[in-house]
Amino acid sequence: MALRLETVSIRIGGQPLIAPVSLIVAPGETVTLMGASGSGKSTLLSFIAGDLTSPFTTSGNVSLDGNSLDGLPPETRRIGRLFQDDLLFPHLTVAENLLFGMPRGPRPERLAKVEAALAEAELSGFGDRPPHTLSGGQRARVSLMRALVAEPHAMLLDEPFNKLDAELRQSLRSFVFEHIAARRIPCLMVTHDMADVPANGRLLLLKHATVTHA
Amino acid sequence: MNRLGAAPLALLWALPLLLSLAMLLPAASDGAAWHMALAHPQLWPALALSLATGAVSTLIALAISLLLIGGLSRSAMWNRLQAVAATGLAIPHLAFAIGFGFLIMPSGLIARLFVGGDAPPYWVSVQDPWGVALTLALALKEVPFLLTAGFAVLSRGDAAARLRAEARTAASLGHAPGSAFLRVVLPPLMKELRWPLVIVFVYGATVVDMALVLGPTQPPTLAVVIWHALNNAEPMTNGMGLVMTLLLTGALAIVLAAVALLKRAGRNATHRMLTAGPSLLQRPRATALVIGLAVTAMLALALLVLVLLSLAPRWPYPALLPAAVDASAWMAVSPAPLWLSLLLALAATAVAVASTVLWFETQDRNRDRWVIGLALVALALPQLASAGGQYRLLLPLGLTGTLFGLFLAHLTPVAAYVLIVLAGPYRAFDGRYIAAARALAASQLSAWARVKLPLLKAPLLIAAAIGFAVSIAQFVPAQLIAAGRFSTLPMEAVTLASGGNRPLTAAFALALTVPPLVAFLAAALLGRPRWR
Repeated sequence: MALRLETVSIRIGGQPLIAPVSLIVAPGETVTLMGASGSGKSTLLSFIAGDLTSPFTTSGNVSLDGNSLDGLPPETRRIGRLFQDDLLFPHLTVAENLLFGMPRGPRPERLAKVEAALAEAELSGFGDRPPHTLSGGQRARVSLMRALVAEPHAMLLDEPFNKLDAELRQSLRSFVFEHIAARRIPCLMVTHDMADVPANGRLLLLKHATVTHA
Repeated sequence: MNRLGAAPLALLWALPLLLSLAMLLPAASDGAAWHMALAHPQLWPALALSLATGAVSTLIALAISLLLIGGLSRSAMWNRLQAVAATGLAIPHLAFAIGFGFLIMPSGLIARLFVGGDAPPYWVSVQDPWGVALTLALALKEVPFLLTAGFAVLSRGDAAARLRAEARTAASLGHAPGSAFLRVVLPPLMKELRWPLVIVFVYGATVVDMALVLGPTQPPTLAVVIWHALNNAEPMTNGMGLVMTLLLTGALAIVLAAVALLKRAGRNATHRMLTAGPSLLQRPRATALVIGLAVTAMLALALLVLVLLSLAPRWPYPALLPAAVDASAWMAVSPAPLWLSLLLALAATAVAVASTVLWFETQDRNRDRWVIGLALVALALPQLASAGGQYRLLLPLGLTGTLFGLFLAHLTPVAAYVLIVLAGPYRAFDGRYIAAARALAASQLSAWARVKLPLLKAPLLIAAAIGFAVSIAQFVPAQLIAAGRFSTLPMEAVTLASGGNRPLTAAFALALTVPPLVAFLAAALLGRPRWR
């Protein structure tokens, strides 16, 4: 499973936002993209996820596991996402949030996977709780587990640690990167905090519409 | 200052409303009236008809509204749909009922368009015994209301952004747009639509003017039976009318409680559906487009047929258009009801907006729940109940048959709507703007007039337009309190609708429609922010 970008470029109003960029993210690898606010980092993630709409014009190709994602809607790309906010659905319990994206199958099996995911997140027994009763760190862990139990083939992280306090950020970083690496999922993360960059991970910089290796 | 600020709303609206409701209590203990009501041969069939028309029209309106929201939100049609809903909202129920009746009657425009022949078909399409015409008209007329309530939820600042982000998350978890709408957007939307749905159901089951125009007659809906009883000068019959009002209110409460219980019982099934896993269900765009166009066409045709009829002294079947047009019907429209309706609407709206603003400016937001609760009670209770109580309250005070009494009757629903519409935007106003203005040496009044008022201009104008439209359409309380001494536009229109003068009826229905349309248009134009 590798995520591949081939001469991807994004323009807005005729001006280049992202000049043609090619990139391969290997299974289990996390590549970090840094750049100033408004430089187009999140726009690139939206393009890869398949939900970028006008006024942008795009070109280039994104493929996953060797299959082109061109023209595929977001829901069939099998790309999980984490945002700045946990975005747990408030009308569902923690367990129901995990079930939400889990592939269909016999209910007992799905419920067993929920229990396993909760145990991995050290949240056993929290399944019946509504999301708002959890702490920020607990919600962030559920949000990651929700994305992972959907069995994604790639992950996109859009400043996922931005709203957490310093202590929580540190523990959550390890939690996220360990789980992504263990599942051998290619992962592209945007951030503007150097501390978020995983050790031994590749770092890319987006400046003046050009992506370069740091 | 605090007490003084609450006084206008309390004295002119809350107190009369509470006393009116209290006046229903003596009726509840009148044994003879109960006996007469329970022995009335039309009670049970009329009650069943009322509940059925209310429930079925609400379900149809809800289904259409959700289909349109689910199918067309975030599409190019979305803005157009909002414009159609705003226009549809401005058309008074009574005017639409009259136009709809002219549309579907055997010699109506639909038969002329699709049936033809030398003579009108033998249809029982208006005042049919099953209440189909009334149910359909109610459903079509309530779609714009439910859509507007839905738009308010889906476009409300942070909530809208969060819903968009949640839908995007659902897509990243494998849910196609239709599935994301069903499982992520719909649950919070339905929660917010609870009160609008209660109001729609209660209105549909208790409406009088539309039922008089389109509803069955043998038996009529219970609201019409009650209406005739309340208009009867004989005290015993009048008391029976109040008892029937209580019975109808109780039946509505039982239905609503049963729905709440059913919803609770179905909770597990609902959550199983929500968590069944990703689905590739798409949004029903094509169906929504067809249904949206059909609803728009019905609203537009009902207005068009009113315009044509009001200008056609003769329009024999099966001609699609009148052979000749003239303005004789318009010349026959007496100006007195129009001026009285406009005067009452302007006065009730001005007092409602001013006293509501005064309330929000002087009262702590914790107190809002009392007035908002009372406003919801006023709207969720059958109007016959509050109007019946109001009549009993104003009669001994000598206020029936007076302009002031008529003004109070209009103010009750107008203030309730203005309060509910304004509460959100007014309380959400960022107080730091005022702090910034005060720091720039503006007085309290100056900061309010130069900063807060312009920033809240749009919701204030919309609230005023809604209040104005509600007042123009008032029929039940006004008719009872006017005691035959005054006549407003809806009273004239209902009387004419039961006669044979179609051009004049159409002219009055249009006269009833134009002022609210102008009010909504003015609110939209004047409320447009200059800084965007």
